[in-house]
Amino acid sequence: MGWYNKRLAKSIWVYHMSASPCNNCDIEILDLLTPKYDIERFGIKLVGSVRHADVILLSGVINQKVEPQVKKIYEQAAKPCFVVGVGSCPASGCCFNASYNIVAKREDVIPIDLYIPGCPPKPEAMIEGVVKLVGVLNA
Amino acid sequence: MDKNVIPVGPYHPLLEEAEYFTLQVDGETVVDIDLEIGWMHRGHEFISESKTFTQSLYLVERICGICSTSHPLAAVHAMEDVDNIEIPLRARYIRTLVGELERIHSHLLWLGLAGHFIGYDTLWMWAWKYREPVLQMFEIISGNRNHYGMMRVGGVAKDVDPEKVKSLLDIMDEIEKKIQMIAKAATDDPVLKSRLKGVGVLTKKDAIDFCAVGPTARASGVPIDVRKDEPTDAYDLVDFKIIVTENGDVFNKTVVRLLETFESIKICKQCLEKLKTVNGGIINNVKEISPGEGIGRYEAPRGEVFHYVRTDGTNRPVRHKVRAPSYVNIPTFKASCKGIPVADALITLAAVDPCYCCTERSLKIRDKNNEPYQLDLMKLSREKTEELRRQMK
Amino acid sequence: MHNYNEFISLMGNKIISKIEKPKRLYFEVENKNIKEVAEYLFNKLGCRLSTATGTETYRGIEVLYHFSHDKTGEYYCPRVVMKDKNNPKMNSITPIVRGAEWIEREMAEMLGITFEGHPRPELLLTGNHPQNIKVPLRKWRSNG
Repeated sequence: MGWYNKRLAKSIWVYHMSASPCNNCDIEILDLLTPKYDIERFGIKLVGSVRHADVILLSGVINQKVEPQVKKIYEQAAKPCFVVGVGSCPASGCCFNASYNIVAKREDVIPIDLYIPGCPPKPEAMIEGVVKLVGVLNA
Repeated sequence: MDKNVIPVGPYHPLLEEAEYFTLQVDGETVVDIDLEIGWMHRGHEFISESKTFTQSLYLVERICGICSTSHPLAAVHAMEDVDNIEIPLRARYIRTLVGELERIHSHLLWLGLAGHFIGYDTLWMWAWKYREPVLQMFEIISGNRNHYGMMRVGGVAKDVDPEKVKSLLDIMDEIEKKIQMIAKAATDDPVLKSRLKGVGVLTKKDAIDFCAVGPTARASGVPIDVRKDEPTDAYDLVDFKIIVTENGDVFNKTVVRLLETFESIKICKQCLEKLKTVNGGIINNVKEISPGEGIGRYEAPRGEVFHYVRTDGTNRPVRHKVRAPSYVNIPTFKASCKGIPVADALITLAAVDPCYCCTERSLKIRDKNNEPYQLDLMKLSREKTEELRRQMK
Repeated sequence: MHNYNEFISLMGNKIISKIEKPKRLYFEVENKNIKEVAEYLFNKLGCRLSTATGTETYRGIEVLYHFSHDKTGEYYCPRVVMKDKNNPKMNSITPIVRGAEWIEREMAEMLGITFEGHPRPELLLTGNHPQNIKVPLRKWRSNG
């Protein structure tokens, strides 16, 4: 699948899925589209349907109401599909681990391939994460 | 119960069918609206019972990413209200400065999203581009673009370096010029005006009945603003006015937010000037808080944030109640969405500026027989703008 | 503060106990009087309901409403304590104050209170997940 991944790395289509976040990471992701960082010059585009997506950006701790939908969407995505966890919430639960309403382990719900930690991660950190992903695909 | 594939609250508002709002439509008109929330519920009030006072300040910051100063400010007001704790003068100016900068960045964010919903993507890019200098100022003051961690019981955590004040004032001047340009371009455009005027009207009586707060209430003629009703921090030491308009439609809400941005710039400049000369400490070290109850509030960009704290003499709160402004503003949809054309539904729902952590903006639509069918609201909204533009040529 | 004296003498013996601080008045009333107090505060004085807090205490389940008098910046907070912890019930003020609908639904969900007269007593925040914990803010639960 090496040749497929190389084609993919030229122009990644990204689907943004927010599962109970505080929305800070979501705004920083949208900031990537604005003129200062302008991620579209790398060919990366935000799409509206998960069926068109190559990469899913996940933000937030997943709470119990949202969990079945996260699973459903991941099943609908056309494989191979990489999942990137943006922020400290998918990585470690941030400060919400004592809550009664969140799932205990996010990896049981959806397998995550790349973590970009930070609360919120700066746009430069997110671009670096994407570049690493592109590097892995190119290898 | 109908079920379609649900994208989980995509922030990028290419809305597909989902199940948060249910609109009842009859032909082209919205007849009723219903809401379901709970997708962001993380149990803050439960977690805060096991944290100390200072730890809970970091927790409340993460309730919402856009208004991430308002919640800590209201929480420290509540904790200080238990014992009527005084804070130093320099800390009062720093708190006001950070709070007003947040108001500027939040209103610019809303302006960009409103432009995006009605099809003016250029307005989105401009508004968010000139939001970047505000975030740069935050980084100079506190070290992070969002989630600053600046507030403590008794004062603030970090001081503003006196050498940096001049460069902050220069950035403020630049921001003011650019926002004046954007505001003029937005309000002079005839298509934008015809798109927003008369849409989604919330009457004064409904605003009072639903106990609405913030620009949602001020655009309908209800003159409430925590900064004038109960001034704390430096709001009684600076000069500004509150903006109230009468009609309650989406255009008025836009005007209220734009004019408030200019008032905030005025307040920030006054605070920065005062920070050049006022000396003193930035925190009043509080060792303990006696048993009792305290109420604290703050005027966030969306309205009044309310915190209630009950203490028992230890270093943890017994009960910490949080109420964000969108909680009272969102039910006003029931009044403002009746009878509007479906193409205007999206901009009406967005005009309340729902803080997305308190609500999710995806919709499910049923026709008058209660059968579900699919409508792309964003597309309808943009198509209406195109049509108006063609008519005006 | 003179407003509080007028209010206190008007309410008379409806007020069981009170705590008075600068700009804050917390007072306890009985369940049968809460609607009258809410009607007076909302319609006659022109207060706005900010929110309501539900807590579990040693004395019982307590609901504290927060009414804000915007012209003066003062708060009137009536409190109702329900001694029966197994089945706490009280009158709902939603028919008088429309803005109380969501907060009463939330308190019913978090603490198990029944608000009599509430038009739509449904779950607001938690869903029907199999591992869902009911009434999460109650400290002493008999079954998990």
